[in-house]
Amino acid sequence: MNSIREFLDAEKPEGYGKRVLEELSKLNEKLNAFNNITGRLGEGMPFSVKDNICVKGVETTASSRILKGYMPAFNATVVQRMLDNKFSFIGKTNMDEFGFGSFGLNSQKPARNPFDENYVAGGSSSGAAVATSVLKYHVAMAESTGGSISAPAAFCGVVGFTPTYGALSRHGLIDYANSLDKIGIMARHAADIRYVFEMIRGQDPNDTTSIEGKYASEDRKRIILVDQLVNGIDKEVESSFMGLVDKLEGMGYKIIRKSVPFIEKAIPAYYTIAMAEASTHPASYSGFKYGYKNEDFTQHYNQFFTSAREQFGEEAKRRIVLGTFVRSASVRDKYYSKALKVRSLLLHELEGVLNEGFILSPTMPIQVPRVDDAGSLTPLEVYKTDIMTIPPNLCGLPHVSFPYAYHKGMPLAAQLVTKQWNDEAMLGLVDGWEKGFKYRFKYNIGELR
Amino acid sequence: MKIGLEVHVALPTRSKLFCSCRTDAEEPNTAICPICTGMPGSKPVLNEGALTLAVSIANALKCKVPAATSFVRKVYFYPDLPKNFQITQKDDPVGIGGEISIEQGKKVGIRRVQLEEDPAKIIRQDDYTLIDFNRSGIPLVEIVTEPDISAEDELRSFMTELKSILYYIGIDIDKELKVDLNISVKDARVEVKNVTGMKNLLDAARYELQRQEKLVKAKQEIVQETRSYSEKDMHTVSSREKESDEEYGFIFEPDLTVYRTKGIKTAEPVYASRLAREYAKKYGVGESTIRELIMFNKESLEMIESYKGKHDMKPILNAISLLQRYATAKPTAATFEKTVGLLEKGFYPDKEAILGIESGKKVEAHAAAGTGEIDKEIKHLIKENSKLLKEYEKNPKVFNFIIGAVIKKYKSNPREVSERLERILEGFKR
Ligand SMILES: [Zn+2]
Repeated sequence: MNSIREFLDAEKPEGYGKRVLEELSKLNEKLNAFNNITGRLGEGMPFSVKDNICVKGVETTASSRILKGYMPAFNATVVQRMLDNKFSFIGKTNMDEFGFGSFGLNSQKPARNPFDENYVAGGSSSGAAVATSVLKYHVAMAESTGGSISAPAAFCGVVGFTPTYGALSRHGLIDYANSLDKIGIMARHAADIRYVFEMIRGQDPNDTTSIEGKYASEDRKRIILVDQLVNGIDKEVESSFMGLVDKLEGMGYKIIRKSVPFIEKAIPAYYTIAMAEASTHPASYSGFKYGYKNEDFTQHYNQFFTSAREQFGEEAKRRIVLGTFVRSASVRDKYYSKALKVRSLLLHELEGVLNEGFILSPTMPIQVPRVDDAGSLTPLEVYKTDIMTIPPNLCGLPHVSFPYAYHKGMPLAAQLVTKQWNDEAMLGLVDGWEKGFKYRFKYNIGELR
Repeated sequence: MKIGLEVHVALPTRSKLFCSCRTDAEEPNTAICPICTGMPGSKPVLNEGALTLAVSIANALKCKVPAATSFVRKVYFYPDLPKNFQITQKDDPVGIGGEISIEQGKKVGIRRVQLEEDPAKIIRQDDYTLIDFNRSGIPLVEIVTEPDISAEDELRSFMTELKSILYYIGIDIDKELKVDLNISVKDARVEVKNVTGMKNLLDAARYELQRQEKLVKAKQEIVQETRSYSEKDMHTVSSREKESDEEYGFIFEPDLTVYRTKGIKTAEPVYASRLAREYAKKYGVGESTIRELIMFNKESLEMIESYKGKHDMKPILNAISLLQRYATAKPTAATFEKTVGLLEKGFYPDKEAILGIESGKKVEAHAAAGTGEIDKEIKHLIKENSKLLKEYEKNPKVFNFIIGAVIKKYKSNPREVSERLERILEGFKR
């Protein structure tokens, strides 16, 4: 399935673009997928951009009140490459503030799940997943730090791809945790993702950490189930996941079980590094160069700059405080330095496992939660739901989430992980899966008959 | 008494450390971009030219240059810091463990040399503050010494040596010099922060030394603290601030990578001070004369190097010295040769004579008359007081009365007379 080719080849009726955006705007009032819709849709295939990725002259806030009104003077490299390839930019998608969240609820107007608005969309790339789920022809530029593509893609029933760290330039991305942030792609089909990925990847002189990858395409027809990722999870998720495993076995994949106890260290290491890096940024949003503006110039320095802090949401404040703590000299070795060590040890260990085949697990250990239930979880309970998505994110390993079943009308998704630069083979497996499994969508805005 | 320094020097690169903005803009906030103003979404990209210069400095200061160098974020809030952190170096700086030899015959250890970005410039007005981001992101090198300096004259020598070494790398230390001084007369370490310019540095050190010595004499406690120097009042005041590494919360800079230093090619460092000593010994010319010639003058050094071995160097050195002092334009080959010619014949041209040579006049007679007589008078006075020659070894100033006498008699230039005297005395020594 390649909907990009299908879209480009199709005859579009008069006023098509305008009608699509009107319909989208109307639905957006209910689902909050977009922070803004530009109102232009040209000849090109539509693409949306997560609100922490800069689009020149378009308000870019990372869903934070403190960046309200920030108009970047430049395009992020991935956006520029999409435009250069004649894709049509349609708007900025909603997210947890600065990417801080797993359910999309840390936003002034949280995005809602398109299958049922009483359920969460997942986060932090909540809007990107909702947009992909409601638009028939569309790809989303999303971003993941610890699972921000996999989680919402799983809950909204779309394919969410996070590439090898460094494959896509971060130039133009508003930082969460730079050594973990990865721009990625969401679409309704793996083939669309492959198409776009090939088009926009590659070294970028504006991002020192971007790399011209040495891509492999290795599929050893083996799937590894890591005990720590499939045991002790939601019963319904576990049993339906085993159904998927059976089907993959039927597709010719050998199933191998493995225990990787060290993988449990990933969550504390991830949150330590993520918060340490995240806490170095927000003080620069001080209310006088861009975004929120403090107009009271009679105040003293400290007062003036402290007043801007009131604009931060609860989770942002929590991460600034925790991150600042783990960086401080007296505990740095105990937390930050140790977390860096865990990261490199875990990468080493996972590389060994991934040399044998793909790691497969459910994307989330829970079914899609209702908004009310998710909202009442403690921060620690929320962090724990990232158990499957964090290991590949911490280690910069490519991973993809794809739907494999529906339970009570809500999608269930699995996540594949592979070794660095083997992104394509992994997407190839999902492409193969799609040949025998039809994804469901509640909306198909822009459908061409 | 111990003095240690943290010297910040601006590097003369065409563009800034992490963006392509120019470094020479004058009108405020005209050389700025999303990177050096810290706009969300921007990413730093290292200026490799700045890294090369920093490695040159580390080499010239005889540091070990680690095979790989990396950057950290030093996190603190101040309005002149657009990203809320400064990109600097911590565990893997470009240089560690070097030294500088100073005139007093000792070596001052260099603890580290690191590359970092300058914050923006804050301009305080009466009731408001302006910020100029032109300076934000200018590459700086911070040179941290061991606390090996133990007197004011050593501090002066150290700064002169450092200035000369950097001059030969193409860096003008006076352009933007910022120094943190660590001074301890007894145990307590006092840091005088952000002293700008050479003069203030020496004044601040002198004041702080005297202040601490006074406290010691009065048997009062010296408080370990940070102070700042007030240029207006020429004294240091307690700044009542305590910044520690704790508060900087250093982390690895994840937007940059690890940079290999192996392939970086740097020019051989020039130690003018050492060359001056060698030339003085070899060519029988006063060391101070040569120092004056070459410490901060590439052209002079090149000229000397080009004549080396082919000529009697004494007249060559004297000619360079004279032309440097008196010539109105860059000396032509003809001017240079004529001056050398006069010196070889035993004449010592004065200012008028040099101006004459430059304009192509015949000057031999004038030069001979003008200078010969003065020299004769000096020699005469030395011979008359020849018993002072013994003392001269220990106290080079015993013959200074001659300068006064000659000036009185001939109305000549004091500096010139003092030089003639020095040279003639050198002759007597031999
Ligand atoms: Zn700039």
